[in-house]
Amino acid sequence: MNEIKKPYKWVGTSQIRPDGVPKVTGIAKYGADYTLPGALFGNILRSPHGHARIKSIDTSKAQALPGVKAVVTSADFPDQTFAYVGPERVAANFWHITRNVMAREKVLYDGHAVAAVAAVDAATAAQAVSLIEIDYEVLQAVVDVDEAMADDAPLLFEDMITRGIEPAPTKPSNISKRLQFEIGDLEAGFAEADVIVEKNFKTAAVHQGYIEPHACLARYDSDGQGEIWSSSQGHFVVRGLTAKLIGMNLADLKVYPAEIGGGFGGKTVVYLEPVAMLLAKKSGLPVRLTMSRDEVFKASGPTSGASMTVRIGVKKDGTLSAAEGVFNFQAGAFPGSPVMNACLCAFAPYNIANQKAVGYDVVSNRPKAAAYRAPGSPISAFGVESVLDILAKKIGMDPLELRMKNAARIGAPSIAGPKLAYEGYAQTVQAMLDHPGYKTKLGPNQGRGVASGYWFNGAGESGATVYVNTDGTVTIATGSPDIGGSRASMALMTAETLGVDYNDVRATVNDTTSVPYTHVTGGSRVTFATGLAVVGACEKVIVELCARAAMIWDVDPEGVIWEDGHAKPAGANVGDFEPLSLKAIAAKSGATGGPIGASNAVNAGGQAPGFATQFCDVEVDPDTGLVKILRFVAAQDAGRAIHPDYVEGQIQGGVVQGIGWALNEEYIYDEKGLLQNAGFLDYRVPVASDLPMIEAVIVEVPNPNHPFGVKGVGEVGICPTMAAVANAIADAVGRRMDSLPMSPPKVLAALDDRNEQEL
Amino acid sequence: MDPAVPVRVLFTDGFSRKYTGGQKEFGVEARNLRGVISAMEKRFPGLGEHILEETTVAIDGEIHETAFFQPVRHGSEVFFIPKIEGG
Repeated sequence: MNEIKKPYKWVGTSQIRPDGVPKVTGIAKYGADYTLPGALFGNILRSPHGHARIKSIDTSKAQALPGVKAVVTSADFPDQTFAYVGPERVAANFWHITRNVMAREKVLYDGHAVAAVAAVDAATAAQAVSLIEIDYEVLQAVVDVDEAMADDAPLLFEDMITRGIEPAPTKPSNISKRLQFEIGDLEAGFAEADVIVEKNFKTAAVHQGYIEPHACLARYDSDGQGEIWSSSQGHFVVRGLTAKLIGMNLADLKVYPAEIGGGFGGKTVVYLEPVAMLLAKKSGLPVRLTMSRDEVFKASGPTSGASMTVRIGVKKDGTLSAAEGVFNFQAGAFPGSPVMNACLCAFAPYNIANQKAVGYDVVSNRPKAAAYRAPGSPISAFGVESVLDILAKKIGMDPLELRMKNAARIGAPSIAGPKLAYEGYAQTVQAMLDHPGYKTKLGPNQGRGVASGYWFNGAGESGATVYVNTDGTVTIATGSPDIGGSRASMALMTAETLGVDYNDVRATVNDTTSVPYTHVTGGSRVTFATGLAVVGACEKVIVELCARAAMIWDVDPEGVIWEDGHAKPAGANVGDFEPLSLKAIAAKSGATGGPIGASNAVNAGGQAPGFATQFCDVEVDPDTGLVKILRFVAAQDAGRAIHPDYVEGQIQGGVVQGIGWALNEEYIYDEKGLLQNAGFLDYRVPVASDLPMIEAVIVEVPNPNHPFGVKGVGEVGICPTMAAVANAIADAVGRRMDSLPMSPPKVLAALDDRNEQEL
Repeated sequence: MDPAVPVRVLFTDGFSRKYTGGQKEFGVEARNLRGVISAMEKRFPGLGEHILEETTVAIDGEIHETAFFQPVRHGSEVFFIPKIEGG
């Protein structure tokens, strides 16, 4: 039997997690763990209304309370120019952002920050905010996306004219923007179809549900310099947003990354940091601010709820001939939902010549939407993958075979225009077709559903510094907060590149003055982009190690090569020298020129998209409507799994969050726009006892643009899940669930519906 | 020195409606993205900044950040698409 040689020694192995011991022993320091001598306690007064005009704010009683050191309102923040700056997807408009951090003319959602205090203890701070008097003119709230789009809807902004429509509308509305993407000839495509299905769907707004609430510590010195310690997905972005919002130079603000207790996209923006910094500036003392769980739900970003219409045509042989979607997304109180992503991802797994997607970004009286795991993509996938399930049943084709027949391969058109350059999708479908569980028989009230999903995966700007220590250990500093195993993956790639032991490599996440600018940990970009920065830094270190060996041997540096962690003569003509290990060279670094290390910064490109295909088995209780997940199998193309256990964890985590979104999670508002379930008791996320073991199937189709083949794994795992569950329910009980969450009352109502059975 | 090579430049519907009078496709001579962006800037003054600020680029289907240094080849398709941010 031939021995199969593993291509790598360290990459692809699941080594001990560097963050494991600190996290399980309580040593790890999260945002709320940081303090300084004399630090004050901050507290934020939040709106009790869903929508109201602020007529006046009187803070005099709070300011007079003994122990209160500072009070701030929006009047303390510099106002910002109204302009959409930067890429349209994020379209940062600081006029909006400053109003989200602290309300000005109006409060736009239940929990909107209106004022803040800093006091010597938490009780005094809480008492002080209760003394702030605000005169509100209460306005009608609107929280539903379709109601917010109606002609007679109450307006959040009386002057908002929809962008993306020509000629521009003359009447203001809550629709911030219209987007459209189209390829081919849609009507000709539908004319070719033998079966066309069109269906409406609705999804609920859901929160990322990170366990650690937002928290920070800020200090501001009399020389105009400040420091922040906070839990975020990107401390450089915290620096940039905070500096802009309060009027500081980037160089005057240093941000330290705390350990992070979950983010999932929700910690790529700021809520507390600018407020804490202003309180620190006003009081002259450090200020700590921490959100309660109630505040997290009410005032930090969930992802959008949406309504959508999906129409797809198929020929009898299973060829998809045309696909169309209209996606209406809640942006929350300020523009900027992920509706563009929804449009671009909706049909991306498939080779369909004729496609059209229209998106609407709609404001309503909810907290501003923030990114959440593949933002936008799971929402459109719920509609698209449900319609594909109906089409498969109508033409009598296995749903995985339908997907395989139409799988996007290299050269397939995309709705944005460029042709697909990478494989990966079909391999995930094949992995599910090959899975022994896919053909097993099911019992009464049980059903099986399949679905697929797509995510772009990210790249962009990252920096890293690699230091070789004199004892032969290696330190890697990056600017990527570790939310999914990046310290382990960076250490593995370093060990592989330098040829040293993984256990001799220590990866750290450093502050904004210690590493080059690094964009957020988000978009499934870090293992790819920061990985490229780390590998590049290691390669520079290798050049230096070879130069040092050359100095030791007194030969030309060109005569030295690096192999298996050792400097070796490039050939016999160089001389007969014993290989020098990294440790041996490091021990002589003083004599050969000083410390050995290198920094590297990249604006990485060439990322490859992520695809996922999943199947699940469910059992529906016909008496209660309860859906039990019996089995869940999830295949995902990782490109290359640097640390397979972490990759498996990412896949499982995405699926679990998708199951919560599918079955239970939703923001529930009353008619006044007040949130009714701002806590984990009433906002129900899945717990271990709700779930079977999620079986992760790691597919590896390497990305040629990364030295180890990395694509990205953090997000696409959530994209198919809601549709897979819905399709399984339809298979079990013959009822098509078109509205999330598919909670027991809704399932029961569908079961009781006496109308003709739907596919 | 490499000779300048022709490159096919494409924009989305929305971008072209906004900035190029609806024209979606152009031919330019360039060796890297800086050359592509400079050529487009000459035709539509101000467009270069919009490209840098608002787009990601697909060079023969491979997605890259829109940055000057990316090389383009003879016959390359350079498709500027909206930037994406994830979670």
